[in-house]
Amino acid sequence: MTGLAALLDEVVGEIDAILLFTRDASTYNLFSEEETPTIVIAKTNAVGADEFVELPLEFTNVHGRIRFGLEGTLRQGLLAEGDEVVCLTSSFEENQIDTVVRVRGDQFTQTGVYDLFANSRADADVVRDVFEVAIELGKKGQKGKRVGALFVVGDAGKVMNKSRPLSYNPFEKSHVHVGDPIVNVMLKEFSRLDGAFVISDGGKIVSAYRYLEPAAEGVDIPKGLGARHMAAGAITRDTNAIAIALSESDGMVRAFKGGELILELDPEEY
Amino acid sequence: MQIDWPDLIRSLFSEETAFTLAVAILIIGGVLAYLVWRWTHATLERTGIKNAIEGTTFERSAQRFGTSTVGIIGTLLAAFVYAGTIIIAFHIARLLNVELFWSRIAGYLPRFFIAVLAVVIGLIVGEKAALVIQERLQSVKLPEASVIPKLVKYSIFYIAALIALAQIGVATTALLILLAAYAFGVVFLGGLAFKDLLTSSAAGIYLLLTEPYTIGDEIEIDDRRGIVQEVDVFVTRIESEGEEFIIPNQQVFRSGVVRIRN
Repeated sequence: MTGLAALLDEVVGEIDAILLFTRDASTYNLFSEEETPTIVIAKTNAVGADEFVELPLEFTNVHGRIRFGLEGTLRQGLLAEGDEVVCLTSSFEENQIDTVVRVRGDQFTQTGVYDLFANSRADADVVRDVFEVAIELGKKGQKGKRVGALFVVGDAGKVMNKSRPLSYNPFEKSHVHVGDPIVNVMLKEFSRLDGAFVISDGGKIVSAYRYLEPAAEGVDIPKGLGARHMAAGAITRDTNAIAIALSESDGMVRAFKGGELILELDPEEY
Repeated sequence: MQIDWPDLIRSLFSEETAFTLAVAILIIGGVLAYLVWRWTHATLERTGIKNAIEGTTFERSAQRFGTSTVGIIGTLLAAFVYAGTIIIAFHIARLLNVELFWSRIAGYLPRFFIAVLAVVIGLIVGEKAALVIQERLQSVKLPEASVIPKLVKYSIFYIAALIALAQIGVATTALLILLAAYAFGVVFLGGLAFKDLLTSSAAGIYLLLTEPYTIGDEIEIDDRRGIVQEVDVFVTRIESEGEEFIIPNQQVFRSGVVRIRN
């Protein structure tokens, strides 16, 4: 076992911080005496840690989770670019630390995943709720059939002025917010309508059935994505909104900000 | 007119029968008390009250004494029934000269029972209310907000204690005046403090219901012109180039809105 121990020592040796992906207080207490700073990354700060990064989604994919956590800690200034960190997380069993990963702070090019949630115009909760709706929709589809959808979140006034209605707005004079329990069903039904959903900073669903008319110059999204994604990229470039698109062809959820593709998720994994 | 039961029984039957009857009543009372105890347990469990009070301080301290809230209420009811039958049995058997005693106890017993029940319910409801409010306030990241659940809890305790004391006949006028002063303070001062918010929300409800302008419209309020970004109960946010105005709905109402059409 000396080989294993030596290897493990090498992995966890000389690090600047520990990123602990847990909500379990007893696990956290193991590290409270530790000299190296311990940063907790989880959905809620259940352990009451001083240095905490909120995880907006339950990333089942370890790679994505670590990437988000790392970017969050960097953006919050808890870490510097060149720092070496060890991430303790769980790959299989929930709430059971079984994975040790060592990464450098500048391991990944910063994509802005953390900014997407924390520094968007819309509230982080609203962005998260929209993601959850999109993931849910991607998972179940409408009556078993795959659907596509486009949600434009935040800066709704400007978005409304850069788009036109395709038909009567079903959300007119309604006060539905994403995150209301009824919304999932409602959006599922409306998702067969063409056009985008517009959601305000505070999470109010302003309109469905919108045809977006942004200027599409300079939008840099991967080739091969359809008109929906192009519209999503373009509207985020023209306004301060973010766009979350559910692809009808490959079932992926993609988020755009500032005209760029920021995040790509497979709903089946959540 | 009240029938004198002991005399009636004695005139119809004999002294022995009266005594036997008293014993029978005691036994029936015991069975009845047991049934009441069973029934309380079943009802409280069925209505989900047992789960609802799980983990409250009262339940926990009850458990420390080897019982539970449901047990206490059940026992209380059973004891109440049994005490009633004992009094009736004594009355019929004429074991004590109970005429005075009986009427006083009979008057006092239900009151005592209600008093205990008020305390138990008050303790549980107070704590539950505090918990619910605490959950609600979880998103408010203000340490001072933790005072509110406590305040609600002790207010409910106070009212429960007041009911209990009034039931057992302690003079509660002073406490009642205190409560009135407290309620007045909360309502009056609260109203005073939240005056602007209240008028704003009244206007906001109208705006939300009729939607004279909506997100995306260009409007002008008091020389502040821009595109509506958000309308909520209290404020309207409008945004123009580089500026965002947050206007209380009350002001929207007072000075009116110019909708800009082009």
